[in-house]
Amino acid sequence: MASFLQLDSVEQNFTRADGTVLEALSTINLEISKGEFVSLVGHSGCGKSTLLNILAGLNQPSRGGVILEGRQVTEPGPERMVVFQNYSLLPWRSVRQNVALALREVKRELSASERAERTEAALAMVNLDKVAERMPGQLSGGMRQRVAIARALALEPKLLLLDEPFGALDALTRGHLQEQLMQLCQKAGITTVMVTHDVDEALLLSDRVVLLTNGPKAHIGRIVAVPFERPRCRKAVLQHPDYYKLRNELLEFLHDQRRLSNRKPAPPKPAAELQAAAASSPSPKPIRLGYLPGLDAAPLLVARQKQLFEKQGLRVELLRCQSWEEIDDLLRIERLDGAALSAAQPLTMATGAMASTPLPMVVTQTLSRNGNALVLGTQLSISSSEGLLLHLRQGLPLKLGVPDRLSMAELLLRHWLARQGVDPAQVSWQRRSPMGLLAALEGGLIDGFAAGKLRACLAQHRRSGRVVLTDSAIWPNHAEKVLALRESWVDAHSNQANSAAVGLTAAVLEAAAFCDQTSHRQELLQVLTEPQAFGPQLLAPLQEGLAESNLAKDLNQATSLLRFNRFFLGQASYPDPAEGLWVLTQLARWGMAPWPNHRQELLERVYGRRLFLEACDRLGMIDQEPTQRRYQLAEGEYFDLDEPLSYATNLPFSTLSPCLP
Amino acid sequence: MTVSERRGRRVEFNAIGKSFPSDSGCVEVLQGVNLSVAAGEFVCVIGHSGCGKSTLLNTLSGFETPSTGSVLVEGEPVEGPGPDRMVVFQNYALLPWKTALENVVLGLRSIRRGEPRELLVSEAKAMLETVGLGDALDCHPGELSGGMRQRVAIARAMAMKPPVLILDEPFGALDPITKEELQEELLTLWRQQRCTVLMITHDIDEALFLSDRVVMLTNGPSASIGEILSIPFDRPRDRDSLLHDQRYGELRNRALEFLYERQGG
Amino acid sequence: MTNSLVRQIKPPLICTAAILLLWQLLCSGTHSDFPGPIQVISQTWNPYIAKPFYDDGGTAKGLGWQILISLQRVAVGYSLAAVVGISCGLALGLNRFIRRGFDPVIQVLRTVPPLAWLPISLLLFQQADAAAIFVIFITAIWPIVINTAMGIREIPQDYRNVARVLRLRKRSFLWDIVVPSTAPYVFTGLRIAIGLAWLAIVAAEMLKADGGIGFFIWDAYNAGGDSSTSQILLAILYVGVVGLLLDRLVAWVGDRVSGPQR
Repeated sequence: MASFLQLDSVEQNFTRADGTVLEALSTINLEISKGEFVSLVGHSGCGKSTLLNILAGLNQPSRGGVILEGRQVTEPGPERMVVFQNYSLLPWRSVRQNVALALREVKRELSASERAERTEAALAMVNLDKVAERMPGQLSGGMRQRVAIARALALEPKLLLLDEPFGALDALTRGHLQEQLMQLCQKAGITTVMVTHDVDEALLLSDRVVLLTNGPKAHIGRIVAVPFERPRCRKAVLQHPDYYKLRNELLEFLHDQRRLSNRKPAPPKPAAELQAAAASSPSPKPIRLGYLPGLDAAPLLVARQKQLFEKQGLRVELLRCQSWEEIDDLLRIERLDGAALSAAQPLTMATGAMASTPLPMVVTQTLSRNGNALVLGTQLSISSSEGLLLHLRQGLPLKLGVPDRLSMAELLLRHWLARQGVDPAQVSWQRRSPMGLLAALEGGLIDGFAAGKLRACLAQHRRSGRVVLTDSAIWPNHAEKVLALRESWVDAHSNQANSAAVGLTAAVLEAAAFCDQTSHRQELLQVLTEPQAFGPQLLAPLQEGLAESNLAKDLNQATSLLRFNRFFLGQASYPDPAEGLWVLTQLARWGMAPWPNHRQELLERVYGRRLFLEACDRLGMIDQEPTQRRYQLAEGEYFDLDEPLSYATNLPFSTLSPCLP
Repeated sequence: MTVSERRGRRVEFNAIGKSFPSDSGCVEVLQGVNLSVAAGEFVCVIGHSGCGKSTLLNTLSGFETPSTGSVLVEGEPVEGPGPDRMVVFQNYALLPWKTALENVVLGLRSIRRGEPRELLVSEAKAMLETVGLGDALDCHPGELSGGMRQRVAIARAMAMKPPVLILDEPFGALDPITKEELQEELLTLWRQQRCTVLMITHDIDEALFLSDRVVMLTNGPSASIGEILSIPFDRPRDRDSLLHDQRYGELRNRALEFLYERQGG
Repeated sequence: MTNSLVRQIKPPLICTAAILLLWQLLCSGTHSDFPGPIQVISQTWNPYIAKPFYDDGGTAKGLGWQILISLQRVAVGYSLAAVVGISCGLALGLNRFIRRGFDPVIQVLRTVPPLAWLPISLLLFQQADAAAIFVIFITAIWPIVINTAMGIREIPQDYRNVARVLRLRKRSFLWDIVVPSTAPYVFTGLRIAIGLAWLAIVAAEMLKADGGIGFFIWDAYNAGGDSSTSQILLAILYVGVVGLLLDRLVAWVGDRVSGPQR
C-alpha cells in the first residue's frame, strides 16, 4: 500500500571538523497520507530541521530515502515548497516582485497575464495586496512570513514544508498567523509537514504529531493522533475535553526526553512515603502500562476496549512504545508503572544482568504463551531447520536480529542450537528494536530474525522472509510475555483496602480469558486493528496469523501445532517462578549473569503469586495454579526444578564449569 | 517564618503613569497602574511585547522615574537604583573579563564593604554551587553556555540577598530544557530567601508554574492592569502534578483568552 | 527642523574653532616661522585660493587642475583595480581551492605600503604616469578582492535554499540573489579602496610625477619660498576634502545600487 509521502529507513550522519561522526538521525520510518498535516516536535537540536531538509531534498540522507508519490526525492524542487524561519523573502525586491519572481521561475508555462493574476490572488489571500509595493524591510516579521506562505501556496506544490515558521515572532502575531495558516491549509487541502517546538501550535494545526527523541541518534519516539474535528477554531480546540490530556502527553514526552538526556537517576523513595503520596493525591494519576505492538499485548488492548480496568475502579493508560529500550528508560524514570515484558526481562532487570542497573520488578501474571518464530530472508534460500543447521555446521556466517532486550525467543533459539550441536556463539546476534527487525531484514542488514508471530506473518506476507522454525518445536507452551510492574509502585499500592495492583491483575486476567475463546477471534481482530492499537493495515497479516496452523503449511511438517498464542487456558496466566528459574539457568549458562546466591528469595520477590491468586479470588476463578515439578521442554528434555544449577552446568556449551558449588 | 526572618519587603505601585516625549508628541506608556505586592510574594507580570511591562518594573528598580504616582518599598519611595532591588536582565550583563566567581564577588563587595574577602568568596562559592556551577567557578562568561551565564547572573543577584528581586524576561533566550531547569532552581533559591519577586515573562506556563499571582497588563499605549490571576497550587510545586490539575487548564485558558481575545487586534 | 541642525553643527563648529585658535596661538610668536591659519590664507589667497584653475604652462597650474590630474590617474588605476578585483574576488569566493591557495599570497602582498611598489613599477613601466597608475592599482585591489570574496560567501544559506527549491535559472540566481546580496560587501571594499588609492597617488606623485597635487606639495617644499609652507598646508586641506568627497561618492553609489538589505 503506497502512501503519498514516505520516509524509508532514513538515517543521517555528519562528520565533524575533527573527523568524528555524529549520528544525528537514526532509522526514521514515517508514512504520510495526502492532505494530511503533520507536525514534527522535539527539543532544539534533536534533528527536526535536518529531517525537514531531507524531506525537501536540500540534504541527502546517509541511508534510506524519501519517496513522494512513488518517486524518490533526490533534489529540492518547487513541488516541495519550503517556508523558512528567516530570510524567506529577498529584501531587495518588493513584496509583489518576490511572489512574481517565484511564479516566473516555476510556472513558466503560464502567460505573463496569468502569472500577474495569480500574484495578485496570492497576496489577496493573505490580505497583503495593499502593501504589495513595499519592500520586505518595511513590513513586520509576521507580514513577511505571510507573504512567504502565500508565495509557497501560489506555486501549488504537492508538499508544503514549514521550518519553525513562527519561531521568530512574538506571541500575539504567532497566534494570528497560526489561525491564518490553518485556514489556508484547510482550504487548499495541501499535504503539510511543519517543524515546531510549540506544543500548542502542533495541536491546533495538525492531524498527527510526530515526537522525536533527543539526539544523537534521534528517532521517532511517538506519534499522537489529534482527533479534533475540522474546520477548527482555536477557542473550540482549547475547550475540547481532550485538549489538555493530549497537551500533557506531548509535554510529558518532552520532559522525559529532557530527563533521559540528563540521566539523573531518580532517588529511591521509601515505600511509606509513596503510599502516603498515593493515598493523598487529589486526582490520582492514571496507571501507565507500556507495550510493544504484537499479538501478546492483546489482553491489555482488550481490557482497555472493554473497560475492564474501569470495572476494577482503575484509570489505566496504555502507551505504545517503539522499542524495549524505550520501555526500559520509561520504567526507570517512572513514567511507566509497568509493562508487557518478555518473560526473561523481569529477572534480567531485577538482577541487573547484562550491564544494566538493577530495577526490581514484580510479575503479576503471564500474558501469553507461545508465539515466536525464526524467520530467514528469502535471499538465503534456506527453507527448513535442517537447512539452517547445515548452513551453520559448515561454518557459514549468519546474522540474526533479536529484540533489543533479552527475549524468550533468543533464549529458546540459543537453547535449540546448542541442543543440535551448534555453538550459538557462531551466530552474530544483532539486538534491535522489534519494530525494526523486518526493515533490517529487507534492508539486508540481517539474514533473519527471531521474533513474534506478528512480524513473522508480515515477513511472509511481504515475501521477504520465510519461517523455518517455531518455538513449539523447542518448548511448547513456554511463557512468552508477562505483565510486570515496578516494585516501588506495587509497594505503594498494595496496602490499601482495594489494592490497585490486584485490580490491575484481575482486569487483565479477565481480558485474557476473553482472548482465548475462538468465538471471540473476530472481535479480537477488530480491537487489534483499531488505529489506537496496530492500525487497519495489519488486518490481513493478523487474520493469517491467528489461524492456527498457517505457519505449519510452509514447513511440510506433520506435527500439528498446539494452540499458538495462548493467553489463558490451561492455567496459562499463572506467574510461575519455575519458569523464572529456567531463565536464571539460561542467564548463568550463557554468562549473562552470575548464578544468584539467594535464588529462592529472588524468585519469590519477582513473581507475585499472591497478587495473582488474590486477583483470581476477586474474579471467582479457581484452579489456576499448576502443580507439576518437572517441565518438559522438547521431546525427552526435562527441566528439573530441584537441581537447577547442575542442569545449567550440564547443558551443552554452558559457560559454567562443573566444579562450581 | 517570623517577620524579622522574612527578607522580602512590601512593594506598592500607586497610580503609576509614565510618558515619554517623542517626535510626534508625548507617548503615554503606562496609566493608572495600582498594584500591591506583599512581602515575600512571587508575582509575574505578563503581557504582549511593547505593552510597558519593562517600563513598569523600571520604575521599581529605579532606572525610570514615573511621570505620575509613586513606587513605595516598605512605605519608602524609590529614589534611583540600589542593591536592595536587584535586577536580572535577559542578556546576563556579566563582565566578560572576570570569571564567574569574580562576577559574584564583585556584587557582594559593593554592598558589604570592609568585610574580609575570604568570607565573601566563600559565600559566592556556596551560591554558585547551589545553582550547579561548582565546577565552573573559574570560567569566564565566554566559556559558558547561555543557561550557565544566566545561572551566574541569578547567583550574583541572590548572593546579595536582596529584599526585592526583579527579573526581566530572564529565560527568554534559552531553550525549553534549560528554561525548565532554571525555573526550578530559581524557585529553590527563592524558597531559601523568600524575597519579594517581580518577574516579567511572556510565557504563560512559566508564570503559572512560578508565581503566587499573575498580573496581566493590557496592550499599550496607556497600559494598565487588566486582570490579576491568583494561583492556588501548593508549594513546593511539581510540574507533573500541575499538568494533571484541572485548575491548571482553566487558568491557562483564562490567561490565553485575556491575551488573545480581549487584547489581540 | 533647524533646531536639530543647529544642535548637530554646534559641537564640531566649536571644536574646529578651538583647534584653529590653538594653532594660531602656537604660531603667533615672532620667532616662529610656521604660519598660523590667518597667515596661510593671506599667503595663498592669490593665486591658489582665488584662481584654482589658472594655467601658466607646464606644471605651474592652479590647485584645481592639479587635483584633476591626480584624479585622472586615480580614475584609471581604480577602475582597473575594481574590474580585476571584483573578478578575482568572485573566483575566490566561489572556489574553495583557489581561495585557500591564494590566501597566503594575498595576505602578504596587501600589507606592502604603496610607495614600496614604486621602484618596481618604474622598472616595469619606465614611465612615471604609468608607474603611478600601477601603484594605485596594486594598492586599491586588495580590499576589493577580499571584500568581494567575503560577500559571496556571506550569502545567507536560506536564500540559497530558496533558490534551490524554486530551481532558479542561472541568470535569475545571479541577478536576483548573488548580485544584490554581494553588493554591499563589494562596495565596502570599493570604499576602502578609494581611500587607499587617493593616499597612494599623493604619495607616488611626491616621489616621481608630472603635475598632480602630490607633485605640487613636493614642488612647493623644494622651492622653499616664503609662502611654501602655507601652500603645502592649503594643499593638504584640499587633499583631505577631496578624499572625503570621494569616499562619500562611492558610499552614495553603493547605497543606490544595493538598496535595502534586511
